[in-house]
Amino acid sequence: MAPHSPATDQIDTLLWIGFFAAAIVIVAVNVALFYAVRKYRNERGAEPRQISSGRGVQWRVAGVLTAFAVLVFVVGVIFTDKAREEPSTGESGLVSDKGDPEELEVKATGQQWLWRYDYPNGAFSYYKLVVPADTAVTLNLISTDVVHTWNVPDLAGKRDAVPGKTSKIRFSTDDEGSYDGRAATLSGQAYAAMGTEVEVVSADEYEAYIEQLKSDIETAQERVVGQIENEEVP
Amino acid sequence: MSDSPRPEVALRADYAKQRPRWVELATSADHKDVARLMIGGALGFLFLALLELLLMRLQLAIPDNTFLSPVTFNRMLSGYGATAVFLFAIPLVLGLFYYVAPLQIGARGTALPRLGQLGLWLFIAGGTVLYATLLFTPSEAGVNPLSPLTEVAFLSSNGVDAWATGTGLATLGFVLLSIDLLTTLRRMRAPGLAWRRVPVFSWAAAVGTWLMLFIGPVLLAALTMLLIDRNYDGIFFADGSGGAPLLWQHLSWIFFTGSYMLILIFGLATIAEIFQTFSGKPLFNRGVVMGSLAVIAVVGTLAWMQNMLTAPIGIGWMYFAMALSLALIVPFGLVFFNLISTLVGGALRMRAPLLFAVGALSMISIGLASELSHSIVGAAWNLKNTTDATAATHFALVGGAVFGGFAALYYWFPKMTGRTMGESLARISFWTMVIGILVAFVPLFAAGALEGQVVDAYKFFSGEGVDAYNLISSIGTLILVIGIILTLANAIASREGGPEAGHDPWGGDTLEWFTLSPPDPHNFDVLPDVRSARPMRDVRLAIAARSARSEDAARESQPVA
Repeated sequence: MAPHSPATDQIDTLLWIGFFAAAIVIVAVNVALFYAVRKYRNERGAEPRQISSGRGVQWRVAGVLTAFAVLVFVVGVIFTDKAREEPSTGESGLVSDKGDPEELEVKATGQQWLWRYDYPNGAFSYYKLVVPADTAVTLNLISTDVVHTWNVPDLAGKRDAVPGKTSKIRFSTDDEGSYDGRAATLSGQAYAAMGTEVEVVSADEYEAYIEQLKSDIETAQERVVGQIENEEVP
Repeated sequence: MSDSPRPEVALRADYAKQRPRWVELATSADHKDVARLMIGGALGFLFLALLELLLMRLQLAIPDNTFLSPVTFNRMLSGYGATAVFLFAIPLVLGLFYYVAPLQIGARGTALPRLGQLGLWLFIAGGTVLYATLLFTPSEAGVNPLSPLTEVAFLSSNGVDAWATGTGLATLGFVLLSIDLLTTLRRMRAPGLAWRRVPVFSWAAAVGTWLMLFIGPVLLAALTMLLIDRNYDGIFFADGSGGAPLLWQHLSWIFFTGSYMLILIFGLATIAEIFQTFSGKPLFNRGVVMGSLAVIAVVGTLAWMQNMLTAPIGIGWMYFAMALSLALIVPFGLVFFNLISTLVGGALRMRAPLLFAVGALSMISIGLASELSHSIVGAAWNLKNTTDATAATHFALVGGAVFGGFAALYYWFPKMTGRTMGESLARISFWTMVIGILVAFVPLFAAGALEGQVVDAYKFFSGEGVDAYNLISSIGTLILVIGIILTLANAIASREGGPEAGHDPWGGDTLEWFTLSPPDPHNFDVLPDVRSARPMRDVRLAIAARSARSEDAARESQPVA
């Protein structure tokens, strides 16, 4: 993944920390193991040394291990908390009618096997989410059927949408562009094809887009209502 | 005393045909027979799990593959998960505990043998129910089937019911067998065998059976609730009527996390026994190893929420799970330190059991180290449900259950059958498995961590950048499967054709090597005095001392000239 938001920058750091911690453990254990196996292969007549350990070395080893565990824990909490920091809308982000920087709240509904996004002005779209750059975006994740996971790794950590609960994902990004996501919890037959796309555009483009979307939807809805009233469709 | 000749017992002419061997075996409550059936069954199910794994990896070898339909893949995935955990790993672990531990503690049998026998047959029944679904519709809900996907509204065929019933029967069997084994360990140890002298493997059996007594009923409760939801209009996991889908996750993850710990505890204890025997040295510090295994069981299971770090639970719980998971660094690290230190200064005999034990330790360390990064909450928000997690879990569990299980098999096979398994085939199998597991799962680390490939998906798409990783992984899986089958074949062939083994082919220090191979139904005719944790060594030293004394006495009683 390529981090494109402050939160994913922190997550990226944590991935590297985790990688190095794992690498240290793997190398330490395996080098010691292979060294011991090579060095102490039985030469004929060798007598094994009947040694048992005293308490001292055990405490020292436990101390080193505890220090390592505490270090990883502390660093993990620090960077996770940083990743959880509430983002805020910047100068080039969304503005309200009065001209103050505004946050964007979008309802994201997971369903078999699509994500539906409901914008604040009543417009909605499927699969593709359009958000303005440099804006604090809050996604309220809900599910209408089974557990889904919203997963766009370049923008935010993944989160499950569990029916009956609302999960929140908060992110903001300065980088315009298109970011792909793929569902990450088995949700049925078409789970492998369930994905999403987030398109980050400038604040003005975003405003224009959702206005257009809303009027397109209203036009389509009026046309259908008209057809029903004229009894052209059942 | 009468002088008349004693009446002869008249044998029926068809006596030999009256009780065929398979009937004896099937109706036996002798813990050794029950355990061998359990182990044999587990290895048979391992073969089925490998087939399912291979088919899935064939589907995932190339992008946009149409070899398996999504439904078939999901069924194969669910079958693989159920078979690998419930029908292979846990019964192999419990079966080996059940065979070896009563012998190691010098018991004549187990305390509640019919209960153990019932446990075995419930496991067989569970496996039968699960594989009978091939005749209608297997479950499609995945390895840990999350509700509400498992509700009737989404999966209406009987596959999930069969999954729940099959795993439930098997789990009930495991609980019953654990009751028998734990009672035996507590009540039937030989005179002198205080807990501080109990072999590490039997101590692990005690820890493991305690663990199963806690996690088994939790899963049984969850399965009962699921069956009620599906068949009797229950609402335990149904959102909208007051139910909680998240409850299933908690209950099921308690069981799966506990089983993960059970498998690792078994693996590390096996390695401990084998390292001691083949280096000729005692365990570097028994108390620390045994205490650490107990801590791992408790703390590891309590960290079950580390599997739910992307679920809507509070950040406090996530940090709590992270703290417990990272705390495991201490007991696991101490065990690794003491195991490796047991080799240092020893005279290592590189026979098959030691080879597999070294491999098991290496693979377990790779798996646990990778799980480390998954325990860090922020990192888990990227890595969860990616193939990175698959790789980590497989290194740890294949390391523990397959490498460790095979190490135990090679080690105790002579005791169980009176014959040793073939050494050269063992080496070929071992190295094939090592190459196989590395080639199969290291690319999945990259696919998951670098490209975010998700798990449980029946296919991946071209253009995602993971083509090479998946192809290499599929080839590696084939190599791993071949390696595993070589050991299975070795076991089958050696039962009749392997070199005969005496009662103590490896020079072990624990009581199971005191009796015949295979042991008589009553296990021991006599038992030595147990004065330490290494009773066989004490016996050998006593014999050596006595023959040295008798040599001196013989020398003194003869004239010098």
